[in-house]
Amino acid sequence: MTASTSTPLRPGERLFALLLVLFAALVFWQSYEISGFKGLTTGGVMPMFASGVMVATSIFLLSRTLAKPQNGDGSLAGLAAFLFPLRVVLFALAVLGYVISIPVIGFLPASAVFLFVAIWRLWKTGVLRAGFVTVVAVGAIHVLFRIVFQVVLPSGSVWL
Amino acid sequence: MEALSFFATSWFDPSLLFLTALGTFAGIYVGAIPGLSVTMAASILISFTFKWDINEALALIAGVYVGGVYGGGRTAILLNIPGAPSAIATALDGYPLAKKGLAGEAIGLTTVMSVLGGFVGILALAVAAPLIADFAIKFTSREYMLLGIIGILLVGTLSGESFAKGAFSGALGVMIGMIGLDPMTAEARFTFGSINLMGGVPFVVAMIGFFGVSEALVQLEHLDTPRIKQKVSRVVPSWSDIRRYFRLMLKSSGIGTVIGALPGTGGDIAALLAYDHAKRTTKSPEVPFGEGAKEGLVAPEAANNAAIGGAFVPMLTLGIPGDAVTAIIIGALYIHGLRPGPLLLSESPHLFWFMVGNLTLANLFLLVFGLSGIRFFAKVVECPQAILVPLIVVLSAIGAYAIQNNPAHITWALGFGVVGYLLRRYGFQVGPIILGVILGPMIDSNYRRAMIGARSDVGQFFLDIVSHPISFVLLCALALMLVSQIPLVKRLWKR
Repeated sequence: MTASTSTPLRPGERLFALLLVLFAALVFWQSYEISGFKGLTTGGVMPMFASGVMVATSIFLLSRTLAKPQNGDGSLAGLAAFLFPLRVVLFALAVLGYVISIPVIGFLPASAVFLFVAIWRLWKTGVLRAGFVTVVAVGAIHVLFRIVFQVVLPSGSVWL
Repeated sequence: MEALSFFATSWFDPSLLFLTALGTFAGIYVGAIPGLSVTMAASILISFTFKWDINEALALIAGVYVGGVYGGGRTAILLNIPGAPSAIATALDGYPLAKKGLAGEAIGLTTVMSVLGGFVGILALAVAAPLIADFAIKFTSREYMLLGIIGILLVGTLSGESFAKGAFSGALGVMIGMIGLDPMTAEARFTFGSINLMGGVPFVVAMIGFFGVSEALVQLEHLDTPRIKQKVSRVVPSWSDIRRYFRLMLKSSGIGTVIGALPGTGGDIAALLAYDHAKRTTKSPEVPFGEGAKEGLVAPEAANNAAIGGAFVPMLTLGIPGDAVTAIIIGALYIHGLRPGPLLLSESPHLFWFMVGNLTLANLFLLVFGLSGIRFFAKVVECPQAILVPLIVVLSAIGAYAIQNNPAHITWALGFGVVGYLLRRYGFQVGPIILGVILGPMIDSNYRRAMIGARSDVGQFFLDIVSHPISFVLLCALALMLVSQIPLVKRLWKR
């Protein structure tokens, strides 16, 4: 195996590698729970093999990250700036709201609201411009998917 | 002479000509739009073409198939989002080329090589169909298992920073592919009592999440940086480039045709194997692989289009689908009262030669639409990312939902997107995950069949592998791939 020793240590990389080891171990345990070591043709053999590879490679990666010199101050603020910039967090929250609202208000209205808010905030443009782009986008989605491809889009429980 | 008249049926019938052109044009866009898939489009097309004449239905579906396989490469080059699994390898060198302002050149070369690769596959279908089908039918579960493992081991080629990260991603993909009821024993695996998980995770949902949504999140960082305008001034590739990569195209098309002919394997594996082959055999590329090597474009694109012709071979001669789309086409043939299989060629030669002629025609339309529609695509890319990023999320949601009309799949795709984002931030590639999701179930079922055949005797299992020529050759290839990852061997190879 070739190691990634040449790339400098990223903020939180050691913690991430440790989490991967724990996740891989959890997956291995779950794989073992399927059929244990009862036979060579049971449904748990391949999951155990794959999760075994995950355990081995994650331990290897953790050892490599531990061998790398510390890069930066390793503070929580540095980790947040690297992994969770404010824009990503806010966008992820908007996506979460979008997913939750689809079964409530239906796909097209939920998409329209999500697109408008996201385009308006990300593009840093006026309400009218963002609204126009949203209407065009939702209209195109409706024509292409609902009419041309006849895809049944999710409907809402309280509207559409 | 009779075969020639069947071959030219769609060339001189205006309605068939139009439907083939429409299918190819639409296919390019279906393949290119993240979230839409050729499989989905073909299955939807069948739902409203089953009352049509069989030739008209097949002309439209074949056009979408040919256009869609090619179209996936366009978004791979322009957006770094493969529109289809067969375009995963295309993104590795296509996107770096686009970032250098060579998007037009990359797409032009891709178009010509895709068309040439398609012709090689069709030629194989027409000339060597019975021979290739004979070879593919000799494959047993041992060979399929080894082929799947070789596919997973390609992570060594795909993974950017380290082989270990690629192997972890590949194994994670296999685990995702294992979710659901065990197809052999109906035993629940990783379902945690959820009914939604019983049916497993469709690989398209995983692909949309890991590629589409994670790309959208990664792109958020670059909103403030000015985009590199995609220069598309020279679309038609130079004659010297075509001549230079012609041999590579032929070899890659050969790989694509053979892999496409193997039931269950399609353009995705063909493209990855061809990319791997090109990377290993090209001694001194002008630009290193992964940074915009043209060889890295030519090989997968020629192979995945050649795989179309290959995929038709077992479908028409054995009634076994070469990939998901040919499985749908088999359904269309059944709907029209035809039985694909060994008797189809003797009972309905007109249908076989019609398909050969129609695929050839679709390839010609691909050349026309491929070389003329690039500027429009570049305009799409020049659209502000602040608009594209939320649109990618919405298209991903539609694509994830439309596969099985399951709202839970939207949540899964977005969840995979977040995981993909975290992995990408720490230098993991998401390509091997998708490869694992696709190949994992195939390896699992074939390993168990092979082991049952050896009566659960490990010694007999390995004896079976080494005592059969095809599996022995595949085992040697697998061993070579593993050995080639040892640092000492790598250093010696470089010398």
